[in-house]
Amino acid sequence: MYGERQDSSLPLRLRGLSHLHKTPHSIDRSPVVLSSHFPSLPSSSIPSDLATPTWLSPLSKRKDDDHDEEEEYSPFHGIEKGAVLQEARVFHDPQLDARKCSQVITKLLYLLNQGETFTKVEATGVFFAVTKLFQSKDTVLRRMVYLMIKELSPSADEVIIVTSSLMKDMNSKTDMYRANAIRVLCRITDSTLLAQIERYLKQAIVDKNPVVSSAALVSAVHLLQTNPEIVKRWSNEVQEAVQSRAALVQFHALALLHQIRQNDRLAVTKLVTSLTKGSVRSPLAQCLLIRYTSQVIRESNANLQGERPFFDYLESCLRHKAEMVVFEAARAITELSGVTSRELTPAITVLQLFLSSSKPVLRFAAIRTLNKVANTHPLAVTNCNIDMESLISDQNRSIATLAITTLLKTGNESSVDRLMKQITNFMSDIADEFKIVVVEAIRSLCLKFPLKYRSLMNFLSNILREEGGFDYKKAIVDSIVILIRDIPEAKEIGLFHLCEFIEDCEFTYLSTQILHFLGNEGPKTSDPSRYIRYIYNRVILENATVRACAVSTLAKFGAMVDSLKPRIFVLLRRCLFDSDDEVRDRATLYLNTLGSDPATETDQEVKEFLFGPLDVPLINFETSLRNYVASDVPFDIFSVPKEIKSQPLAEKKAPGKKPTGLTTAPSAPTSVVDGYEKLLSSIPEFSGFGKLFKSSAPVELTEAETEYSVNAVKHIFDSHVIFQYNCTNTIAEQLLEMVTVFVDPSEAEEFSEVATKPLRSLPYASPGQTFVAFEKPEGVPATGKFSNLLKFVVKEVDPATGEAEEEGVEDEYQLEDLEIAAADYMLKVGVSNFKNAWDGMDPDNERIDEYGLGVKESLAETVKAVIDIVGMQPCEGTDVVPNNSRSHTCLLSGIFVGNVKVLVRVSFGIDGSKQVAMKLAVRSEDPEISEKIHEIVAEG
Amino acid sequence: MLLAVLFTNIEGNILVERFHGVPAEERLHWRSFLVKLGADNLRRAKSEELFVATHKSVYIVYTMLGDVSIFIVGKDEYDELTLSEVMCTIISSVKDVCGRTPTERLFLDKYGKICLCLDEIVWKGMLENTDKTRIRNLTRLKPPTDI
Repeated sequence: MYGERQDSSLPLRLRGLSHLHKTPHSIDRSPVVLSSHFPSLPSSSIPSDLATPTWLSPLSKRKDDDHDEEEEYSPFHGIEKGAVLQEARVFHDPQLDARKCSQVITKLLYLLNQGETFTKVEATGVFFAVTKLFQSKDTVLRRMVYLMIKELSPSADEVIIVTSSLMKDMNSKTDMYRANAIRVLCRITDSTLLAQIERYLKQAIVDKNPVVSSAALVSAVHLLQTNPEIVKRWSNEVQEAVQSRAALVQFHALALLHQIRQNDRLAVTKLVTSLTKGSVRSPLAQCLLIRYTSQVIRESNANLQGERPFFDYLESCLRHKAEMVVFEAARAITELSGVTSRELTPAITVLQLFLSSSKPVLRFAAIRTLNKVANTHPLAVTNCNIDMESLISDQNRSIATLAITTLLKTGNESSVDRLMKQITNFMSDIADEFKIVVVEAIRSLCLKFPLKYRSLMNFLSNILREEGGFDYKKAIVDSIVILIRDIPEAKEIGLFHLCEFIEDCEFTYLSTQILHFLGNEGPKTSDPSRYIRYIYNRVILENATVRACAVSTLAKFGAMVDSLKPRIFVLLRRCLFDSDDEVRDRATLYLNTLGSDPATETDQEVKEFLFGPLDVPLINFETSLRNYVASDVPFDIFSVPKEIKSQPLAEKKAPGKKPTGLTTAPSAPTSVVDGYEKLLSSIPEFSGFGKLFKSSAPVELTEAETEYSVNAVKHIFDSHVIFQYNCTNTIAEQLLEMVTVFVDPSEAEEFSEVATKPLRSLPYASPGQTFVAFEKPEGVPATGKFSNLLKFVVKEVDPATGEAEEEGVEDEYQLEDLEIAAADYMLKVGVSNFKNAWDGMDPDNERIDEYGLGVKESLAETVKAVIDIVGMQPCEGTDVVPNNSRSHTCLLSGIFVGNVKVLVRVSFGIDGSKQVAMKLAVRSEDPEISEKIHEIVAEG
Repeated sequence: MLLAVLFTNIEGNILVERFHGVPAEERLHWRSFLVKLGADNLRRAKSEELFVATHKSVYIVYTMLGDVSIFIVGKDEYDELTLSEVMCTIISSVKDVCGRTPTERLFLDKYGKICLCLDEIVWKGMLENTDKTRIRNLTRLKPPTDI
């Protein structure tokens, strides 16, 4: 069968697994790539005791004279499960041929590795046959048998067949039999069998042979998941194994001991205390110990003052001979909470040395860690700037990208131009995913140094013109949009760059998004007419989707700029002859709307129509349209329900996800606020509350994985506050009805309840909302604490039919308290140039006062606390306090309830005894608000 | 935890795969992701040149050994440095078994033995042995010489 060469056109390699080439959904591509040579390892040619079986030799006569062709044969070419199963009959031979049996097991392993599955009958047959091989004394075959049994994972009823053989091996005098038998038994065992073999396993853990000991320890790590009670009884033996001289035994024993004790904080502290005194030899175990030590430090941090426990140990690890240990210690130090610059310095020094290592894995690890440190302690990393600059030319592009993005974080305003030159050369030879990382870093840099917007915006527009995929281009466009929104001076130049881009844009999505943005922002510029050419070009040159969008954009210019209206009309009339009906329809609609009789359509109505939000939720709109397509009933937009069934946007937003330019708003996430605004305006009880000022992020009122999950959003109005309780029922067998929250405002005296909107029905896994509204004195930032009790009627649901019982039972569920703080009345809104904004405010409205804050742990902590109290947006990166600073000035900006703009300049100073003094200067449009900010700070 | 060890040939076909603690439904995604990672980065790589990728808390170290690509995925204590240790162990053992840098054919010839080596190096997601001589002995059920 393998003796002759097949048709050379046939694929002779393994069966193609084309299905494997699907794009994965579970993970994203990530910054990748390192390269280096590890020292070439000695390759000793050993006689294989699984010598190439005869069936694997495709054509032995060609082996010497035609090596290349011979290479093309797969020894498994044409392998079929049925045939291999037939071959497995050799396992039953009375005179076992060990060599032949090993070959068949190899084939079975290959089949399993190729994703081949055995039916229950087949697997049972193979398993029983394999157990016969215990008769053979051939060691190689026995090793293969162990592997095969593990691969087959026999079911509980089959295990009994092999148990006695394995038990025998486990007590064998041959250590290797014992080690392997332990591993197999632990793989296939259940708790009953485990109880039987427990005594042997305990012995094995302290066996003098490290292979046996390691086998038992690793088995125990896995058994801990299924039989924790039994494994926890082996603590003494594991403790003994931790002291083993064998490195790997120590590593495995330490991992197991920590897992056994992980929920006992005191025990972990004791473990760390005893081991950090120097009895760990294995570098791998040392790395584990460093991690456990960090955990202990983290947990004890809150209670201790002064010298950090175990820091000396971490510092001593920086001088360990194994690089792995040095790096682990350096990383652990950088991740300590509230790490001081004195603590950071030695860690940064070793990381700096790693930056010039010949091993790319070390360079990668070091730059990745420094990149993280740069987020919180940019000044600590500046010493490495020269080394990092040399890494920009590293062959490994992920190292280069990390170096660039770290430099962007650590650089100061004066180094921006030099960095941009280096990046320009670098951008041309990296992949799109790296470019995206760089673009995002540049966006952050521009927001940090708004005065540099011109050079950074030019850089973005240059790379926008170069080749690149959709995600990359979208990242650039998003960045430009965010800069336009956050830096008013950058608006015109940014819009112009976007116009240039759509002149030659291959992505319909981006063109339409830019046109939409242009329609909103372009008419507000000093010379709106300059954009018309770019927009009308789209009508002439692009596909129907973009043309239709361009028509809408033209209409927006016409509506907003009266002087352009007649010319826009001319252009729109030309669109009436477009080949696409959507374009024609839009042109007709806008011509009629804009040119209609003023008596019937006011200017305000036209603008509301063109610029206003769609006042029905998109998901409901889509559902209604789908129903309309399937029916004969004419569509009526007023029939679309306005109530949002699922939780609003804020909950769906992934935590930490960065805002994307075209879909997010200038400062506050307006899209979320819009969603809330629509939701609240659809409830008649709240219609008289006026304009929504602010909605908080959801506050969890239940712990994770409880029966009912509830979080609350605080909606602030001028003289009202609404609590929106987002409820989820996680019990499939229950239906909740008439869900309300009973709120007790006894610790919030200025609030009085005015309305409640219950949730009629809360089925399983379908979130819903209930609301409670309070009245408070207008314009006063009243604060207080509210206790919450969830009340409902619970009905049992039949799991078979899904129907709920008719009768329900009243029940209640205690929720966490909810607090309204002064920061809830402040909107975080940044300013692009704080100095200009500060100077632009009336100095008469300024209020200055000084505060003694007493002894504080660090300046950074104090700054963060003050920012949290006032709830304002830090400007120009002043929320980051340089290490070792004895003074710091933080600039804050925000809008206070009642739409009053507030700017704060707060200076801190700390003396040798850690006494902190603070000088607070507040300017706002209303002197009373300036006073109020002082009151808030004084009370906080 | 060592989440996965994967060997593929140049075309990206799977030769050997071992998953630990990865649900069956996610394995296809991992396979295709790793194969794509290799296709994008290993094409012009030198033999034994180590590459690394990271995604949130998951690390990947991968390389080309002769005609065979090797990928290792780990998380928690199995970070990029530990994985490079595991990779070095795998490389040295595979070369030891094959007698030289393997071609695809040679790899398949020594398939059974490589599976045994892998079983000694990684067991249920934990690194067990790192020394190639010891691994060689263990695959023959011979006691390690260093005891």
